[in-house]
Amino acid sequence: MSQNPTFDAAGPGPLPHGRVAGGNGGAGHGISRILRRIATAALALCAALILLAALWPQLLAPADPLAINPSSAFRTPGGEHLFGTDESGRDLYTRVVHGARSSVLIGVASTLIGVGLGAVLGLITGLGGRLLDAAGSRLVDAMLAFPTLLLALLLIAVRGPGIATVIVAVGLSSAPGYARLLRSEVRRASRSGHVEAARMLGKSPARIVAVHILPGAVGPLLAVATLGVGQAIVWASALGYLGLGAPPPAPEWGAMLNAGRTYIGSGWWMTVFPGLAIVAVGIVVTLLGRRLSARWAGRGAA
Amino acid sequence: MSTGHGANAVMTKPGSGRAATHRKSWWVAVAVRLMGAVIALWLVATLAFVVLQALPGGPAEAALGGPGSQASAEALQAAREQYGLDRPVLVQYGHFLGQLMQGDLGTSYSQKKPVADVMGPLLAPTLTLAVWALLAAWVLALMTAMVATGSSRVAARLASALELVASVLPGFWLAAVLIIVFATQLGWFPPVSTGTARGLVLPVLALAIPLAGYLSQTMREGMLNALASPYALAARTRGESPWGLRVRHALRHGLVPGINLSGWAFGYLISGAVVIETVFARPGLGRALLTAVTGRDVPLVLGVTLASALGYVLVTIAADALVRLVDRRAA
Amino acid sequence: MLNSSRTSTRQRALLSAVALAAIAPLALSSCSAGGGDNGASGGAAEQNTRTTLTYATGDAEPECLDPHVGGNYPQALIGSQFLENLVSRDKDGKIIPWLASSWSVAKDGKSWEITLKDGVKFTDGTALNWEAVKANVEHLQNPKTGSSTGYLAFAKIKSVEKVSENVAKVNMSAPDSALLESFSQPWNAIQSPTALKRSQEENCAAPVGTGPFMVKSWTKQDRVVLTRNENYTSAPADAQKQSGPATLTQIDWRFIPDSATRYAALQSGEVDVLDNAQPDNIKAASAASGIEELDAPRPGASNRLELNSGQAPFNDQKVREAFIRSVDVDAAVNSLFMGTTKRSTSALSSVEPAHQDQADSYPFDLEAANKLLDEAGWVKGKDGIREKDGKKLTVRFPVSTNQSIPAEQSLFEQLQAGAKQAGFDVKISLLDLPSWYEALGKNEYELVSAPYTKVGPDVLRILFHSSGIKPAPSGYFANHAQINDPALDKLLDQASATVDDEAKRTELYKQAQQIIAQKQVILPLYDQQNHYLLRSGVKGLRALPTVSTPSFLDVQALPAK
Repeated sequence: MSQNPTFDAAGPGPLPHGRVAGGNGGAGHGISRILRRIATAALALCAALILLAALWPQLLAPADPLAINPSSAFRTPGGEHLFGTDESGRDLYTRVVHGARSSVLIGVASTLIGVGLGAVLGLITGLGGRLLDAAGSRLVDAMLAFPTLLLALLLIAVRGPGIATVIVAVGLSSAPGYARLLRSEVRRASRSGHVEAARMLGKSPARIVAVHILPGAVGPLLAVATLGVGQAIVWASALGYLGLGAPPPAPEWGAMLNAGRTYIGSGWWMTVFPGLAIVAVGIVVTLLGRRLSARWAGRGAA
Repeated sequence: MSTGHGANAVMTKPGSGRAATHRKSWWVAVAVRLMGAVIALWLVATLAFVVLQALPGGPAEAALGGPGSQASAEALQAAREQYGLDRPVLVQYGHFLGQLMQGDLGTSYSQKKPVADVMGPLLAPTLTLAVWALLAAWVLALMTAMVATGSSRVAARLASALELVASVLPGFWLAAVLIIVFATQLGWFPPVSTGTARGLVLPVLALAIPLAGYLSQTMREGMLNALASPYALAARTRGESPWGLRVRHALRHGLVPGINLSGWAFGYLISGAVVIETVFARPGLGRALLTAVTGRDVPLVLGVTLASALGYVLVTIAADALVRLVDRRAA
Repeated sequence: MLNSSRTSTRQRALLSAVALAAIAPLALSSCSAGGGDNGASGGAAEQNTRTTLTYATGDAEPECLDPHVGGNYPQALIGSQFLENLVSRDKDGKIIPWLASSWSVAKDGKSWEITLKDGVKFTDGTALNWEAVKANVEHLQNPKTGSSTGYLAFAKIKSVEKVSENVAKVNMSAPDSALLESFSQPWNAIQSPTALKRSQEENCAAPVGTGPFMVKSWTKQDRVVLTRNENYTSAPADAQKQSGPATLTQIDWRFIPDSATRYAALQSGEVDVLDNAQPDNIKAASAASGIEELDAPRPGASNRLELNSGQAPFNDQKVREAFIRSVDVDAAVNSLFMGTTKRSTSALSSVEPAHQDQADSYPFDLEAANKLLDEAGWVKGKDGIREKDGKKLTVRFPVSTNQSIPAEQSLFEQLQAGAKQAGFDVKISLLDLPSWYEALGKNEYELVSAPYTKVGPDVLRILFHSSGIKPAPSGYFANHAQINDPALDKLLDQASATVDDEAKRTELYKQAQQIIAQKQVILPLYDQQNHYLLRSGVKGLRALPTVSTPSFLDVQALPAK
């Protein structure tokens, strides 16, 4: 039991290692296994679609997401416009598909920043002496105590709105969570004795990290990071909703929800479809995270 | 058996009897924890102060009727002197810390009142919202987790899917949907806060549901893990009912990781309160924060940040105590 | 049981605690601050005797209820409920008596004599006399007050003297034909001199005036409660109720920033009147029975785009003309505002008698736009954006989220898309108010939309006189188009000095508008939108023709809750 609860309380999302994760446990047989295979395939397909929408949206939606057409504003879904049109007559389906790019970009980039910064902090506090650990842990606590939205608001007020600022803000606020994870991974690896032995043998810290710590950490880290991507996307959409994300006319899901809220009386589809997109990405990413952590469970676990 | 959070060894002092050692080290642990909390708070204050120095739009203007003010140069200079804005940054920082240690949060630029007086009446509404949301989230999460670990495969799958979807719902979107369905269409609840309990239902639900999704998933994992353990299997062979097994044995292992999420949950509630309070027109610290940032009211921003950080620290300390209570074995 | 009984008891306790916590206090009222339900007093018996009205405003909550401090529209909205002015304006734009019963101006325009109504008292008992006028003028001119709008309006007042107890003499440093218009604005309202002597914090919380209502309490972020002034005697000349207090006994002035929530509250009956109604709500309301609209455009300038003619690329008139011709404002206004407003082609609001429609100056002609840009030497690049001397045709457009309603932001997006067809790269940045002012102060804009509400055509002087380019110490300046034309300056100065000939004054302002249109420095969009939605049972609501704030003095009846 830790004497440092603020530092050890887990962030949101999956699993401390060492447990059987996901689903209703156990390896099923026969039909259940086939169903699982189908589910996995479906998941992979969804993930591929999302990536495709982020990288080559034109393949899924060839029209121009910025093409306005005031005379066909607020068309209901169906026919020529699968998801209907928005207040400027732009096709909503095209905008939702093209909106995947900024969302996925923000999600991935901010998670990379968070993992990077968090890893550095986590390694320092995990490997360093007691003083370094104490000081670093306090910093991590402080970062955790700082409300995310406030951090984003402040950064945006200082640097102006835009995708880059959102990425930095979300990345910074997710870093402490990863720092904790890394720290406990380091601790766990340390207890196994390998690290002590390597230290006594005089191996450099870099080598110790690379050989003894990172392999075991990758699994849980990947699992948490995939969930982090989903969270970052929701955060980005919240900021877009407040008008603080990508500048217009970018097809960003949060900004679309913002517009949809205003015109709720004229077009429910403007609210429903971008919202569904966010939810769908969140679901896919969460399920992926569970699968990944299930694969790595037991490997490297104490 | 994993208890669900990082298993760091307790640093007990060698020598002296086990019980005495345990008690002494408990006090030491508490003291260390408090020191840690204070340092974390100091760091938060410093970080916020630093970031706020970089804000564009001079605070002097904020203090004199807002941006775009016609204030004369003399008036602006007078305001700067009044708020000490013409002194070097380090001096301002020292002054700020000194005031803080005396419990003085400064004076709000926009409302010309002590920050504590501005925040006071807003604390209760936000806390009400947050506490109710937390309770509702726990209730929902417990119910869903119990079903998700139960014997009926279909119900379990459904509950699992439900908690997954709930956890990825954007709060502001949920709020809009709730208003449309329950306020405008069905008319069951008012779309704005009315000061009564009915006006609290929709805002609380909008905040609680995504949180419940997360809590439920975490609890389910912990409970499933416990149910797969050898101990549980042994209990099953002894004739323990599925319900009894879950409640008596697995629940504890589901609660612990859930309680450990409390700190994060608190941060989520504070951030979510900003949007929910705005959408439902509820007074609260969240809305105050938004207006303070856009109005460059630096003392007020600092005040709300510190209050929020303090709340986070208190919640995590309380959560840890609660975990010890629930998980006696590990204490 | 083989399980430890202590553990299971604890678990049971935990579970029961959670269950109890869930069920029990749904009965407890939340302890949130607030005036509580105003319908609490009674059910069916209330039918037609309800005298408390709930008003929901979507404008920002003021930081100070005293409109002398700062001076924005939200302050005017609520301030005009408890503060009054020396004069008012009627529907035709004529100045009519209010707290002042008559007035006269000297031949040289350098002094005015204003006679006050007899027997008017502020709600704190202080009498309305010449000293009150002096105290208010001085309060506005005092830098410590921090007035923006009112201060500018009184810029030419030198001093206020006594002629007799009820007659004040206002001495001017220069003639100002807009003085009475300034005296009619809520930001220049008359407050009790006794109250003005209090600390600013006290006066911000509850200013004291002569209005039909007074401030009882202010719960931040929730509502201001206004109660009836029982001794009210000073109705403006065009009010229905010329004597006696209002019929309503109380107004709950609620702050509800989200427009959809506001409308939902109106539909559900939580709220009787709302402002800042969005176009789709107005359209829905016109189809629904039970909700009516009051359309009251704000005076002063129209909502317009201003092109920064002080620097490249808009310092070239051809480029300005091209931009104006490349955007289809009519289509955008019609689709986004759903027929709730008309396109404006005037620099002035349509409620100003001196306004002039100049549709010919603002046509939509993409071909002409492209031709003009070709002539000006801007060549289309591969990405469709024009270039010249290695620089792209970038147009920075800071948009303040505080001041632009969502429909307007969508309109800007449509204009952005239209301008792109001619080769303009319009970059919209959504900023909060301080950042927006900063961008303007630093001259980092080519386009801007800055509403300016003022009573009377003198707003043209504020917006288009070359002296408006010089920034105030805070960095703010009003002439965003940065137009510097001596002929225009001369016309505006002359109009300002024409205190005795209203027809001549109007003619001068019309000529000024011609020049502004010729220079192609603005693109008028529509009147400043100001739509109120009210439940049909609310009878007698009107908008004051000064700055179109709602007046509840004449409200006779309210619908059942």
